[in-house]
Amino acid sequence: MIPAQIDGLMPVVIFMGLAVLLFLGGHFASVLLAPKKPSHLKSTPYECGEQPVGSAWSMFNVRFYVVGLIFIIFDVESVLMFPVAAIFKEMVDMGQGGYALIILLSFVSVLLEGIAYCWRKGDLDWVKSFQHSLKKETK
Amino acid sequence: MFLQFLFISSAFLTIASAVAVLLTKNIMHSCVFLLASLIGVAGLYATLGADFVAVTQIMVYMGGVVILMLFAVMLTGGKDFISRAQNLLGLPASMGNRWTYGIGLIVGLVFLLTNIKLLMGITKSLPVKTITNEFPSTVNEIGHLLIKEHVLAFEISSVLLLGALVGAAIIARPRKQN
Amino acid sequence: MNQTVVSYLSQYEFYDVLLKLFGGNQGLLALTIYLLLGVAIIGMCATIGGLGTYAERKISADLQARIGPNRVGPYGLLQMLADGVKMMTKEDIMPFTADKMLFYLAPLLCLTGVFATLAVVPFSSGFIMADMNVGIFYLVAISSLVGVGVFLGGYASNSKWSMLGGMRGASQIISYEIPVTISLLAITLLAGGMGFGTIIGRQGGLPHQWFMFHNPFAFLATFVYFIGALAETNRAPFDLPEAESELVSGYHTEYTGMRFGFFALAEYIEVFVVCGVAAALFLGGYQIPGISIDILPLQAVQFVIFMTKTLMLYYVVIWIRWTLPRLRVDQLMSVCWKYLTPMAILNLVGCAIWMVAFDGQSIAEMILGGQH
Repeated sequence: MIPAQIDGLMPVVIFMGLAVLLFLGGHFASVLLAPKKPSHLKSTPYECGEQPVGSAWSMFNVRFYVVGLIFIIFDVESVLMFPVAAIFKEMVDMGQGGYALIILLSFVSVLLEGIAYCWRKGDLDWVKSFQHSLKKETK
Repeated sequence: MFLQFLFISSAFLTIASAVAVLLTKNIMHSCVFLLASLIGVAGLYATLGADFVAVTQIMVYMGGVVILMLFAVMLTGGKDFISRAQNLLGLPASMGNRWTYGIGLIVGLVFLLTNIKLLMGITKSLPVKTITNEFPSTVNEIGHLLIKEHVLAFEISSVLLLGALVGAAIIARPRKQN
Repeated sequence: MNQTVVSYLSQYEFYDVLLKLFGGNQGLLALTIYLLLGVAIIGMCATIGGLGTYAERKISADLQARIGPNRVGPYGLLQMLADGVKMMTKEDIMPFTADKMLFYLAPLLCLTGVFATLAVVPFSSGFIMADMNVGIFYLVAISSLVGVGVFLGGYASNSKWSMLGGMRGASQIISYEIPVTISLLAITLLAGGMGFGTIIGRQGGLPHQWFMFHNPFAFLATFVYFIGALAETNRAPFDLPEAESELVSGYHTEYTGMRFGFFALAEYIEVFVVCGVAAALFLGGYQIPGISIDILPLQAVQFVIFMTKTLMLYYVVIWIRWTLPRLRVDQLMSVCWKYLTPMAILNLVGCAIWMVAFDGQSIAEMILGGQH
């Protein structure tokens, strides 16, 4: 039989290594084959033929950050649910399905509560309705 | 053989990129080095046979936290990512002045001593476990533990995450201009 | 236990012969087998990716009553080779304002993330590089590297189009990861495991044994997964990160030559992987209808069945691209958070209740079971 130490891990490492090799190989081929005639105008950032004004690294809207925050929380919740889901069938077969269902449902209901709150308060809207929140605060 | 290779390369990746995170002056680059360091940690978990924890590390940290950090850096924007100020040691000033280094040294010493004390206790009391090449699935074990012994922690963690979600939403909400 | 292609092959006699050839060094033999098969899989996927670009043009031409590429080779079939050569002979241009290190790194991250997912794609019951216990979870996790690659590609270019495309791309990819992950949770629940072998083993060859038709919630979950996966691969109608008419070319505006080629290759292979996962999880994967014995020649049949299902889904992906108009950014986000995510959670709850209420039986099992 195969020693267990190579189970599963080796293909992952090999595929990652092959990706790096392909990347380097592609670059090597491009160095060999591609023409090299650099000029200043050629290497300006593309802005539809106009002279680029300023840098592209500017302040971005906070909404991207909010999406990231909400994502991480859902991400962690799904990570926690994965092992429970994996043994759910086993529990059902053992006749403890009801117990597992209650555990899972109470976990998911808290999750739903969170998304309902965010939805109700308009945090899931991409274009935030400023007027709405302003009116509420002045009341 | 392969395991040793994986362990050494992961450990090297973790430490080297962690050092690079500290030494680079470009905040975007240090985010990317942090990503590499976290990949290395995932590799270390994988060599220990903790497949679920390794994948969780990849999922939460690489897929989530690093992207969030990149977004957070983009909130500040501008070209001032690159810090040119230096402190006495010739390191970036953002790494702290003599007070922060002093406090860091004391904390590190206390931490080290505590860990040595703890580890001494463990090595004395526990029999040395022989390392086998058997990697049984950790997923089912974790699932059973979560749903039986640690079910309260499992449920409370959902409340904790709810709190985090609500907090995140409130912080990011548009506020009235003063 | 984890099963790999090597441990599958080791049950046959020729493995022992090979082992003798390698002087009994199992690690070296395993490494050789993995390397050979890895190169073969990547070659195959690169070909499929190349053919994907060709198919895309041909199918779009078909849908728009045009002819499409027909100059290079018979029916224009060699177009992909011409494209590949062109890619390599193009000058490598980097904007002088770019962040050089990240500019190099971004395509590599995309490529690594996508290639690493190939390790768990189940081509047949034996020919799956590593049937890990954490199969689909691993796949979702490692493919999130693509999001980082897209963002860094946009950032490093230091071009306004790229930056916008990169920000949009990263936020879209992470948003749609949520409904996809929760749909996968529902399937994990039905199958009782996360490994691809376990999940496909619980299904049968015929449509009524597939997880798609297991119960109404799983049926919905199929569509939630597929829509989310389309968005995660930045395909139309979710191609906002590279919307030609708004953002020029999105995060790879400044990329030329081989580096652009790597982005494109990663995208096409990712579409293939996503279709393969959909085929494996919802459409019965490689299962041969009516046959459950496992001998070596049948592996080829399984492989053909899996590829047929996957490529049919690939056709659907292209078909959708040339049929539906693009979404607006705010619509994109509301589709994800207000429709797909609640629906995915509903599916998860529904599947859990179904499992307990009907003892894990599918609709077909209940109907057929009632007859005798």
